[in-house]
Amino acid sequence: MSRQLTAKKLAVRTAAGLVLLMLAMAVCSFIGTEKVSLRAVLEGIGPQGTVNPDYEIFVKVRLPRIFLAAIVGAALASSGVICQALLRNPLADPYILGISSGAGLGAIIAVISGLNWTFAGRSPIAVFAFVGAIATVWLVWFLGRLTGKFHITGLLLAGVVVNTFFSAIIMFLTLVAKSQQVYATMFWLMGYMIEEDFRVLWVAAGCVTGGMVALFYVAAQLNALSFGEQDARSMGINTARTQIIAFAITAFITAIAVSLSGLVGFVGLVVPHAVRLVFGPDHRQLLPISGIVGAIFLVVADTFARVIVAPAQLPVGVVTAIVGGPFFLLLLVKYSRKVSWLK
Amino acid sequence: MSSIIEVKDLTFAYTSQSTVLKNISFEVKAGTFLAIAGPNGAGKSTLLNLLCGLPAKRSGTIKIDGAAVESYSTEALAKKIAVVRQEFIPVFDFSVVDTVMMARTPYYGPIGFGSKTDREIVNESLKATDSAQFALRPLGSLSSGERQRVFIARAMAQDTPILLLDEPTNFLDLKHQVGIYDLLKSAQLEKGKTIVAVTHDINLAAQYCDATLLLGADGGYQHGPAKDVFSTEQIQKVFGVKVFAGDIGQEKFFLPLGKLAKGSE
Repeated sequence: MSRQLTAKKLAVRTAAGLVLLMLAMAVCSFIGTEKVSLRAVLEGIGPQGTVNPDYEIFVKVRLPRIFLAAIVGAALASSGVICQALLRNPLADPYILGISSGAGLGAIIAVISGLNWTFAGRSPIAVFAFVGAIATVWLVWFLGRLTGKFHITGLLLAGVVVNTFFSAIIMFLTLVAKSQQVYATMFWLMGYMIEEDFRVLWVAAGCVTGGMVALFYVAAQLNALSFGEQDARSMGINTARTQIIAFAITAFITAIAVSLSGLVGFVGLVVPHAVRLVFGPDHRQLLPISGIVGAIFLVVADTFARVIVAPAQLPVGVVTAIVGGPFFLLLLVKYSRKVSWLK
Repeated sequence: MSSIIEVKDLTFAYTSQSTVLKNISFEVKAGTFLAIAGPNGAGKSTLLNLLCGLPAKRSGTIKIDGAAVESYSTEALAKKIAVVRQEFIPVFDFSVVDTVMMARTPYYGPIGFGSKTDREIVNESLKATDSAQFALRPLGSLSSGERQRVFIARAMAQDTPILLLDEPTNFLDLKHQVGIYDLLKSAQLEKGKTIVAVTHDINLAAQYCDATLLLGADGGYQHGPAKDVFSTEQIQKVFGVKVFAGDIGQEKFFLPLGKLAKGSE
C-alpha cells in the first residue's frame, strides 16, 4: 500500500508547494509596466531627501499586491475545498451559500451611501462587505436548519434563493446609483486587487493561515463525511461538530477574502477540482495543496491583470476566468481517465 | 454467555398515528448471529438505526455492552458497533484502501494520520474480505459485490465487537450473496463478532443465523431460533403472501408464489 498518503509525503509536497509559491511571487514581483532592478531595490530607501523609485515601486506597490493575491487565492481555494466537501457537491464554491451576494450588497450600500471613514484602516466597502458576507451566511445557515439539522438540499436551496434575492437588490441599487458609483461597484463585483497596507495584510494572512490550519484538523473527518452523515457517525465522527467548525471557518476566511478584493470568481471552484484531479480526493492533502495552488494561480493571474492592458488594469476576476477556464478543461480531459495516478 | 445487546420495551413512531415498533424486547448474546426479517415498512432499518444510537423519540431501553446506548459518545459507540448500510457511493472517488482506512479515523493521531497498527488492521480486513487485490482501485470502478465487500472490510477495520448490516446482499447475484454470508459467518466464528443483519432473504438467513427477529407490519414481532420463528403459517401471515415450504435434509425452505406464478396452481 505504498501509494497511501502519509504525513511525510504530505509534508514534502506541502513544502515543495510553498517553495513554488515563493518562486512565483518572486518572479511576478519583477514583472510589471515599470522595470525594477533588484540591485536598486536592495539599496533601500534613498538617502535623505531623495526617493529611490525602484524601492518605492517594489516594496510599496508590487509586494503588497502580490501578498494580497496570495492570501485571497489561498483563502478562496481552501474554502472551495470545504464547501464541496460539506455539500458533497463538486459544483459548490465558496460563494454558493450566499457569501457573494451578501458581500456584494454590503459593498454597494457602502458605495451608494458615500461613506467616507475608515475602520482599522479598512474602507467602508471592505467593512460592509465583510459584515454582509457573515450576516448572509448566518441567514442561509439559519434558513437551512429550518429544513432539518444539516439538510444539504435545504441549505443549498436557501443559498440559491438568498443569492438570487440579494442579486436582484444589487441590480436595483445599481440602476438607481450614479454612474461613478456603478463603475466602482462593477469593479468590486468582478474582483480586483489594490495595494493594501502591510498591517492589513499581516492580519489577513494570519487569519487565513490560522483558518486553514484549523480546517486541516477536521480534514480527516471530512473524508469520512463524504460517505454521508450516517456512515460518518457510525465511524465515530461527531458530524454536527465537524460540519459547524468547517462551515464557520470557511465563512470567515471567505468573508476576509471578499472584503479584501471583491468577488474574484473561479478560483474557489476550479482550483480544488484541478488539485483533486491530480492528487485525488483526500481532504488532508486537498486542503493545503489547493490553498497553495490557489495562491500561485491568483498571483500569476493578477500579474496578467496588471500588465495585459497597461497602463490600464483589468479586474483580476476577468483574468481568472479567461485563463483558468481553458486550462481547467485541458486538465479535465487529460487526467479524468486516470484519476488516481498520484495518490 | 452475556448479552451484548439488550432491547427492552422498545416503542418507536415516526408520527403519532402509526407506530413502527411496539414494545419490542430481545437480547443478543455476544458472539451470535441475529437476522432481522419482516415486510417493507415493518421498521427493520429503523430498529437498526436505533441500535446504533440515532437520537430519536422512543420509549424503552437499548443497552449496548451493559450501558444505555445514549450514554455513549459518537466516538465511544463507534468502538462498539460498526455499521454496513445500503450502498452509498460518494461523489469523490476515494480508493478502496483509503475508504477502509477511514474506519480508523477515531484512532488517528493529532495531525490526522493513521499509525502503522492502523494500516496493519486495514490490510488484514482487506485480506479477510478478499478485497486486497483491488485495494488501489477507485471505489466507483468496482462491481456491487466487490464494493459491498469493501464496506464490510471497512466495518471490520473498525475493530468492534458488534457488526450491524442493513440488507448486505441487496443487488448481489447468488454466488456473491452466499459469499457475503460466509464472510460474516467466519467473522462470527473466528473473531467472535456479534452480527446483526437485516435481510429479505429468510432462507439464506436461516442457514447462517443463530436467532431471528421477525417484525410484523402491525408492530408485532417474533424472536427465537429460525426453525421456530419461520413457519409457513407465520410467514404467510407476516408477509401477506402465499408460500410453499419444502425440506432439504433437516432444513426448511420457503418459496413465495404470486397468483400468476407457474407453480401456484
